[in-house]
Amino acid sequence: MLQMTNIGKTFLTGQVQTKALDQINLEVDEGEFVTITGPSGCGKTTFLNIAGLLENATAGQYLLDGEDVSRLGDRQRAKLRNQKIGFIFQSFNLMPDLNLFDNVDVPLRYRGLGRGERHQRIEEALTNVGLWSRRKHLPAQLSGGQQQRVAIARALAGSPRFLLADEPTGNLDSKTAAGVMSLLHEINAKGTTIIMVTHDPVLAQNSRRNIDILDGQIRDDARRNTAAVA
Amino acid sequence: MEFGPILRSLLRNKTGALLIALQIMVTLTVIVNAIYIIQERSQHMTKPSGLDEANITHILSIGYGESFNAEATTDNDLRVLRGMTGVADATVINAIPVSSSGSSNGYMVEPGRLELAVMAAQYRSDDHAISTMGLELIAGENFSPNEIVRHEPGTARTDTSVIVTRAMAEALYPDDAAETTIGRIFYAADDTALQIKGIVERLQVPWPSADFAENSVIYPEIELDGGNYYLVRHEPGYRDENLPRVEETLAAQNDTRVLRENQTFEQTRTITFIPDNAMTSILSIVVSILMFITGLGIVGLAVFTINRRRRQIGTRRALGAGHIQILRYFLVENFVISTVGVIFGAIMTVALNMFLVNNFDLAPLQWYFVPAGMAVLLVLGQLAVVGPAWRASRMSPATATRNI
Ligand SMILES: Nc1ncnc2c1ncn2[C@@H]1O[C@H](COP(=O)(O)OP(=O)(O)O)[C@@H](O)[C@H]1O
Ligand SMILES: [Mg+2]
Repeated sequence: MLQMTNIGKTFLTGQVQTKALDQINLEVDEGEFVTITGPSGCGKTTFLNIAGLLENATAGQYLLDGEDVSRLGDRQRAKLRNQKIGFIFQSFNLMPDLNLFDNVDVPLRYRGLGRGERHQRIEEALTNVGLWSRRKHLPAQLSGGQQQRVAIARALAGSPRFLLADEPTGNLDSKTAAGVMSLLHEINAKGTTIIMVTHDPVLAQNSRRNIDILDGQIRDDARRNTAAVA
Repeated sequence: MEFGPILRSLLRNKTGALLIALQIMVTLTVIVNAIYIIQERSQHMTKPSGLDEANITHILSIGYGESFNAEATTDNDLRVLRGMTGVADATVINAIPVSSSGSSNGYMVEPGRLELAVMAAQYRSDDHAISTMGLELIAGENFSPNEIVRHEPGTARTDTSVIVTRAMAEALYPDDAAETTIGRIFYAADDTALQIKGIVERLQVPWPSADFAENSVIYPEIELDGGNYYLVRHEPGYRDENLPRVEETLAAQNDTRVLRENQTFEQTRTITFIPDNAMTSILSIVVSILMFITGLGIVGLAVFTINRRRRQIGTRRALGAGHIQILRYFLVENFVISTVGVIFGAIMTVALNMFLVNNFDLAPLQWYFVPAGMAVLLVLGQLAVVGPAWRASRMSPATATRNI
């Protein structure tokens, strides 16, 4: 469902060129759970941003569901993000002034769904992460793990086929992280494709497929037959 | 639209928004009242006097000394003035319209009923008054020359005919058309009976902001108190050339008096309205500064909140917001803040106006000033916020994942 050919990304800051990604060739199939590892600054976030249409590659071709999205305009990219892709961020990125209900509602409103359908999806998504009863709470009234579960609910409410997570457990203690991970595995088991950046070697080792990046290039793309649920 | 979330988000984060709403409230209150006062002043300033203003000049003659003869001087001055080339007509009068000095009196349709008195300016002049001022006689007749009384100061006045303005006739007889009041008799405060002989369309009183601005009564009377205003109407094109000649000519007639105020009617107007012009300028500056400061405040708050919410905006973009949705978010947010500001501002505007009406000589605001002011500030708010909102909408969705 995702196919990258010779993807490169060069940042230009003043006179300084930074090659964040170079010659990335990659194919991810529907239903996969891929982890991405690599040292800080190697280009993991940049990869995720390009995969999630948050940023344009400066070289190469990117096919999403067979459609070439490398040259789409902003409006079409926004629409694709909204409909096909769910995002989970390391620092949750919830709207601090909106309660959980309104937070999960944000992408649904951008999709232009009716009130009734939005309500149903929000209830389902928040129930799924066990936080429906706290829908009136503000993010600040929740623990980190709970906030990340709200973010997952927000990502899932639009039923995306494709979930991108940038170190989703990076700000959580290991017990809470395990809870979030099992939630992600559950989601993956129901068919959602997940690409997750992590710096946790245990998570990477247990993943069915792990891509290791170094200096903007894929150093290792390892597939395993057995996946252990963390 | 995401009206609900924007409102709820604002309510949880109100300090900055409240300050701006407060600023909008104060601005609306001040500018609507200021513009109303400016507008009222300029109405006074542009109100027609009824005179042929472009061609009229006046001069004040004040006699002194034992040998000064008021009656002979007046008769001679008028004869000389009327004989000058380029002079259409001239008259003697006790006060100049729009000059801010003159005398007024109370008049009533039944003698002694002072509580019913209608205020009016009294002009004392002769049968050349209408022609010199260029007034429009709409009913009745002008004075005849033999009607003109020579009044010695300190002697009692007698019953007489008068010419009044349309506004005065309507004020005295509110139920009747002005033209039908010819021949009717009304009374001055000293109970002298005055019979309406003629009606002129318009003749302003000396005080432009008086609430009886067009109530004037012309008496057929020359006051022999030594002080005479001469009004001169020049043939078109002669005014400026004749102005110095009027003074030279009168000065040559008589050396037992001084001449003052030799000026055109336009100069009279300018002098009268110096304070109004000053007030109008000051209020205009206040309005401009307030609008500017409020605009800056809105821009400032927008820039501040947008910078504080960079991550949020990036996240919204990541979750599917296009440029338009981000732009709209901040426009709607500003609209909500401004609406609160203008609603309270409207209440304060009316309150300030009531205070001004009760404490100063000001008529109540026309209702449409309030919605017009509200609309102006709502538009100002949108214009002020559109720049920062535009820049926010151009922010990369990648901002959501970067630690900037
Ligand atoms: N907006 C940007 N402008 C310039 N350089 C950038 C930008 N974003 C990332 N980089 C650079 O690209 C490289 C990869 O960054 P990133 O993808 O964030 O790494 P990681 O997520 O693996 O830590 C780094 O050298 C980083 O400094
Ligand atoms: Mg990163």
